[in-house]
Order: sequence, then structure tokens, then C-alpha cells
Amino acid sequence: MDKIETIQEGYVTKVITHLNYLKQERLPTQWCPGCGNGIVLKLVCQAMEKLNFSQKDTVVVSGIGCSGRSAGFFDLDSVHSVHGRAIPVAEGIKNVNQALNVIIISGDGDLLGIGGNHLLHASRRNTNISIICIANSIYGMTGGQSSPTTEQGSRTLTAPEGNADTPIDAQAILKAHNSYYARTTVFHFNHADKCITESFKHEGLSFVEIRTQCITNDGRRRGFKNAYEMLMSYKDTFKINDNTDTLEHNEIGIIR
Amino acid sequence: MTKILLQGNQAIAQAAVKAGLGFYAGYPITPASEILHELVDKKTVKLLQMEDEIASINAIIGASLAGAKSMTATSGPGFSLMQESIGLAHMMEVPLVIVNVQRVGPSTGMPTLPAQGDVMQCKYGSHGDYFPIVFYPNSVDELYQYTFHAFNAAEESLSPVILLSDGYVGHLYETIETKEYEISKRTLPPLGTSNRHFTGLTHEGSLPATSDPEIHRKFIKHLEKKQKKVAKKYNGYEYIENASSDTLLIAYGALSRVSYHFKDDFAIYRPVRIFPMVEDIKEIAGQYKKIVVMEMNAGQYVNEVERMLHRKVHLISILGGKIDLQEIWTKLRRFRRDT
Repeated sequence: MDKIETIQEGYVTKVITHLNYLKQERLPTQWCPGCGNGIVLKLVCQAMEKLNFSQKDTVVVSGIGCSGRSAGFFDLDSVHSVHGRAIPVAEGIKNVNQALNVIIISGDGDLLGIGGNHLLHASRRNTNISIICIANSIYGMTGGQSSPTTEQGSRTLTAPEGNADTPIDAQAILKAHNSYYARTTVFHFNHADKCITESFKHEGLSFVEIRTQCITNDGRRRGFKNAYEMLMSYKDTFKINDNTDTLEHNEIGIIR
Repeated sequence: MTKILLQGNQAIAQAAVKAGLGFYAGYPITPASEILHELVDKKTVKLLQMEDEIASINAIIGASLAGAKSMTATSGPGFSLMQESIGLAHMMEVPLVIVNVQRVGPSTGMPTLPAQGDVMQCKYGSHGDYFPIVFYPNSVDELYQYTFHAFNAAEESLSPVILLSDGYVGHLYETIETKEYEISKRTLPPLGTSNRHFTGLTHEGSLPATSDPEIHRKFIKHLEKKQKKVAKKYNGYEYIENASSDTLLIAYGALSRVSYHFKDDFAIYRPVRIFPMVEDIKEIAGQYKKIVVMEMNAGQYVNEVERMLHRKVHLISILGGKIDLQEIWTKLRRFRRDT
């Protein structure tokens, strides 16, 4: 990644962009039109650029699902592990090489469903890894089944009458062990940027739950016409509150 | 070279440290826990006690990719949990050592009692096709030696190598001479040196995923070829010839120790590298009229031997974790030449 090193040495000022963290030949992504995953990818790249991360010190790990494909886009060493196990893989990496910035990008089904137990214990161990959880409230890749962050009453492929269960409280899990927790959305771009950058800087385990729209397998069942409407619903639902110990249901912010 | 009294499990741990173990992740389970215990406070080993065996295997995959020789140890129940990620390690070509100290199953079975019920699981436990190298020593000394071989074979084949043991050999104390064995260097450049993408998806070069059947066939062929090539370096088996017998008795692990009692009446063959099977068995078996496999399961390796030799192979099945010489002799005597 010569281009990025050039930036660090100061020869070129603004020719290079954060997109150099991605494998250009792999773009555009294969995600559906209107998907929010690309926004998260851009946010992560921006944060990496801000903090001068390079190929020599950064590894991206992901699990399985739409968002699990994220790792493959980065022009860095990356690992696409099995479903739900991105966290222990990342912990193994970090424990062997403390100098690496280890970033996990995966979905809510992967990190909070099948891999939920690992999150419980990783936060207890407080390994210095950053977890970016793309929470789109649905199992998108498999067709739209209820996921751990599906709202109660929300219609899905497996809950046509509305989801009976309450969504998982990721905040409570992370707070229980004093880990970094942030909730944000892809609509609140600058706020999301701050949450992710801060999480990369945080010493210890950090978890960013970023609400993301899936129009293809979630939004359309819930009456949204397009991804734009879903983004606007984030605008209407969530209020920024960065000065609190506990985020309410409709609040986004950072809990350290 | 020094003489020391060691338990089978301890021998694995101590040899692993000498072979360059850098990272160990594990979860307590009888009869394998002593391996974890032995590694506590070893200066050169980063040790993580994980929440389960799934976390353990995935942590050692990450650790191995990050540059450390990595190992985990478990027994049947934990080994079952690890299967998905064993497949991942084959697909991503990650060197690992996985120790399975077998106990009676299925399920919780009879903890602490030895069994050999996981033999086929080593080969077919994960979904899809892969060709694991599996060693099954039968003494503390051999466990020590084969731990080195397992680490070397893992590095040479860039794959997870399974070291099988059982509750009997694992808990056995014997005096051994700790020799120096050759140690393979790491060949896989660690994470943070390039822009590689390690994935469980069928992939080729910079292509992170494909549905091209040709690429997949090529990859599976490549796995088979390299595993066979590396395995050849470790042609471990023991053969006790017996010109006066027309029967070859095949046993491995705990039960093979008992088989020595019958060497006056039978020829004995003991595979140590149980997978891929050592080819020499074909020639050895050719010299005998009858082949008997004796194992502590309902008949697993017997089918593999039969498939390899293309002839009838008899089974003596010892179930329930109890090794009783009289019982074995009762089952075995009908294969003697004079009866």
C-alpha cells in the first residue's frame, strides 16, 4: 500500500482518499442497491485514514452474512471466518500480535445471535479489539428471517404476524463489563464517523452498533418503499445523546 | 537427553513448548485438562482459557494466522464442537495442532474412561472434503515424539494436524528420555504483512469467492495431493512379524499396548499415522490369511482397513472403556492357527 505511506510522509496532500483502503478492483460491492453496508465500509475507511492505519498494522476480520463479506474488500490482510466466530479469531490474532489494530465488521445475527456467547466473554476479557456491528434487524443474506435486533412486532419472513421476542440489549452486555459501547445509524453519518473513530482509539474492547437498512429483505416487508424512506426513519426515530450513562431506546450515543 | 517421569498429557504439553508453541487456547474437559494445566505459566506460551471449544479452535486459527504456532486440546464432546472450524482451517490452509484425548461416547458417555470412538470423526467430522493427517501414539514417549511431528506436519502441509490419544494413554505415567527432535520453521507470513484474504469460501488468487466448479475441484485435488506428500514423511507404524502365525492383528492406541501380550500367537501391526493410512499395510497384510482389527469402538478403522485391502477384515470390538485381557483373549483365540 505505497499510496498510503506516501500520505504519511507528506509528499502528496489530498490526492489520496480513504478509498485506498479498499481493493479498487473489487468495487463496486455486490450488495443490493440501497444497502447500508457500503456506508459502513466508507466510515471504517475514513476512520482508518484519520488514525493513519496501514497495511502493516491493521487486520479486518468478519463472520458470515452480507456484512461478513466486508473483510474481502479491504486492501489489508483480512480474515473471513465461519458464522459467529469472528470474535475469538480476532482475539487470537490480537493476543499474538498486540501491535495490530484488529477490527471486526460483521452483522447482528453473526455477533449477537450465533456468536453472542463470544461477545459476552470477550467483553469480560476486554481484549483490545474493535467490533463494528452492522445491525440491520434481519438475516438479509438468507432471505429475511428475524434476527437478534429485530424489533418486537416487526414483520419478517419467519414472523409474518410480527416478531414476538424483544430485541437483544447489546448495550447492557457491553456495559456490564465496562466496555466501550456506541449506538449510531448510517443516516447520522458524522455521528457514526465519531463513534467508529473513537472505538478504534479505545483501549480495550469496543462495540459499535450501527443501525443499517436492508430494503430487500426487511424494509419491503415492513411497508417501506425504498432505502431512502428507511434512512429517513432513522432520522425521525433516533436522537443523539452523547452525555448519558444509558441510551434510551430511541437514542444514539457513546457509552464508555 | 534426560530421563523424566511424565504423564501422557503432560508429555504433549512439554513437547509442544519445545516444538515452538506460541499460543494455546482451550476449555477444561476430562481427560484432556492436564495439557491446559501444564501450559499455565509457561513463559513462551500465550494461554487463553476460552468460554468453549468453538472459541478455542477459532482463537488458535487467528493466532496461527497472526504468526504463532498454535494448539488446542480437548476430548470427544469438545472435538465435536470444533468440527466446523477444522474445516475452515483446511480451507484457509492454517497450520494447527488439535489434540483429542478420547473418552467413551456418544455424548457425555463415560468421562475419564478411554475409547477410540472418534477415529472416523477425525477424517469425516467436518462437512465437505478434506484429508487430515492424524497421529495416534500409544505411549508417553511416543506422544512426546509425535507432538513434534504434529507441529512439523502442520507447518509443512499448512493444515490442522490431529494428535489422537485416549483416556488411558493420556493419563498414563511413564519414564521417558526427552530427545531433541527436528523443528520446522513457520512458512506462512503473519497477518499484517500483505493484503491477503483468508476465507472459508472457495477462492483462488485474488478472487474471494467463486461458484466455478473447476476452481473447487482443483482446490480439493490440491488439498489431497499436499496432504499425501507431507504424510509420507511421517510413515509411522510398528510391525511385529510372526512367521508361525497366519493372522495379522491390527490395533492402535491404548488397545495396541494390550496386543503385545498376543505376539506369540499373532503378527501385530500398529499404525501410528492412522490417516492417511500407511501404504505399507498392503504388503504386510498380503503375508497373512486372516486380518483382525481390534478397537475400542463398534467398528471404525476396520472398515478403512477393509477398503484399503479389498478383502474381509474381522473385528474385535471392545466397548465401555474397560480393557480386560481375559475378555480380549476369549474373542481373539478363535483366530489362532491351531483352532
